Amino acid sequence: MTALAAIMTREAKIRATNLLFIFWDLVYPLGYLLVFGVGVNASLGFTTGHAGIGYNAFFLAGVLSMASFGIAANTSWSFFLDRDNGIFYEMLTYPMSRSQYLLGKVLFNVFIGALQSAITVVLAAIVLGVPLRPAGWPLLAAAATVGTAGWFFFYAIFALRIRRNDAFNTVTSVFYFVFLFASSMFYPLDPLPRGFRLVAYANPITWQVDVLRYATIGLGEPWVIAWESAAFVVFTLVAFVLAVVALRGQE
Amino acid sequence: MSQAAIRVENLVKVFGGRGRLRPGPPVTAVDDLSFSVEPGSIFGLLGPNGAGKTTTLRILTTLVRPTSGRASVLGHDVEAQPAFVRRNIVVVIQEHAAELLLSVRDNLLTFARFHGLTGAEARGRADRLIDAFGLTAEATRKVQDLSGGQRRRVQVAKAFMVDTPIVFLDEFSTGMDPILKRSVMDMLRREAARGRTIVLTTQVLSEAEELCDDILIIDRGRQIARGDLNALKMLTERMYEVSVTFDRMPADLDAVLARYETLRVRKNHNALSVALKDTESRVLELVTALAARGHLLRIEINGASLEDIFIELTQKGAVS
Repeated sequence: MTALAAIMTREAKIRATNLLFIFWDLVYPLGYLLVFGVGVNASLGFTTGHAGIGYNAFFLAGVLSMASFGIAANTSWSFFLDRDNGIFYEMLTYPMSRSQYLLGKVLFNVFIGALQSAITVVLAAIVLGVPLRPAGWPLLAAAATVGTAGWFFFYAIFALRIRRNDAFNTVTSVFYFVFLFASSMFYPLDPLPRGFRLVAYANPITWQVDVLRYATIGLGEPWVIAWESAAFVVFTLVAFVLAVVALRGQE
Repeated sequence: MSQAAIRVENLVKVFGGRGRLRPGPPVTAVDDLSFSVEPGSIFGLLGPNGAGKTTTLRILTTLVRPTSGRASVLGHDVEAQPAFVRRNIVVVIQEHAAELLLSVRDNLLTFARFHGLTGAEARGRADRLIDAFGLTAEATRKVQDLSGGQRRRVQVAKAFMVDTPIVFLDEFSTGMDPILKRSVMDMLRREAARGRTIVLTTQVLSEAEELCDDILIIDRGRQIARGDLNALKMLTERMYEVSVTFDRMPADLDAVLARYETLRVRKNHNALSVALKDTESRVLELVTALAARGHLLRIEINGASLEDIFIELTQKGAVS
């Protein structure tokens, strides 16, 4: 526990040196919802195909997923900062295992992710009138925290294997484009071409968004949500193992 | 017999040769190296650039896995029990390493927390070290706002924040001014006297000469000499260092020096320092020849310095 607490404290101290970043992390999903969601809803007359569900309510799960995806990408980028500072290799000699290092690094950010989700859901209800669904909150918390951790481990695999930060930036740009747009984040998948749908169904973002959507507005079949939850947990575990392997390979 | 603090047996590390995209020739950084370090000693690992010093240190500090052979710290294998090893070491790596976004004090406190040291004791130690390392005025400043030398001080100060039995220092004095370096060397001696084992690599041979109880010289990953300073001096027979100061440097010294087997010649204003390998009578003959070229204000003849031994051994590639 000493190691986990130490690295979590370290991450918190570093993040606390820039409160604007933390503030932005906490409110930007809501900002996205206000700008993009309201814009699409008002300008394009977007409908979800489900009676009584407006685009803002539909898109709420998307911004929550996007937020955990973003926090994970930013956290994994800090490997490059640590390498540049030289502290990365020194930290690998500290009394902790490689898996504790990864877990500790993501714990504080998982906390931020959960807090961000809570703020977004409550303010979306107050500002945009998205209905609150308290029964889904435990699932919402789980999806936000496991989601942030899973995406962090996924990104960590690449951040640890790629030595140049400009190359990593290219990878994250591609990931943002592919993962976010080939998913159920922005639109329902049913009306889309079959090939697109197949890609989207294989995309872990879709699994996370669907779980979050079920948690926030109750949309989706419970058995599908159960499968998607399980698939995302498996994705997280596999990413964690591969990230630990990548970390052990640092020489 | 007491247990060795560090034991290295037939250690080999080969880099490369397995890359799928850009396979290159394998490079042997450490080649069948064996040694042990006694508890409470200051051990110097010396060698020219690329000798394998840092790789050896990185294996001992769990950063790199050996290709073959075995390395243990306090009787625990570095590969099989890395967690135990990490609990018992602190490492000052060669590169600058500090939390740039944190203050000097937070750097020390954050590091201490990893070793389970928190609260008033951690704060007290941090304050004492900030003072000892001349960082009082910078204590609350972010490390990113400090000079390179000050950052190095923060990094080295961490080695004194906790009481782990083993301290590894890779080129610790880089970027330090002479006064601070002297102070850190005194601190290292005190830590060794308290029973901590210090392992250091350095290119500044006078540091090793002054600090180390035991010295290992390696080149191309292999041991070429081992022992305390006297034992190493015995390895290089008939090596002398002649230092003289003229009232005015004569112009024709090169012709005089050409008659001797010199290892090193240094001229600085009116001072001349010559390391040579020859008989006692020939050394005295050189002094006489120098005296004939100009008025000597000072004459000093010493046995070989560690630097001369180092140059002699690494050029010869001898195995002791």
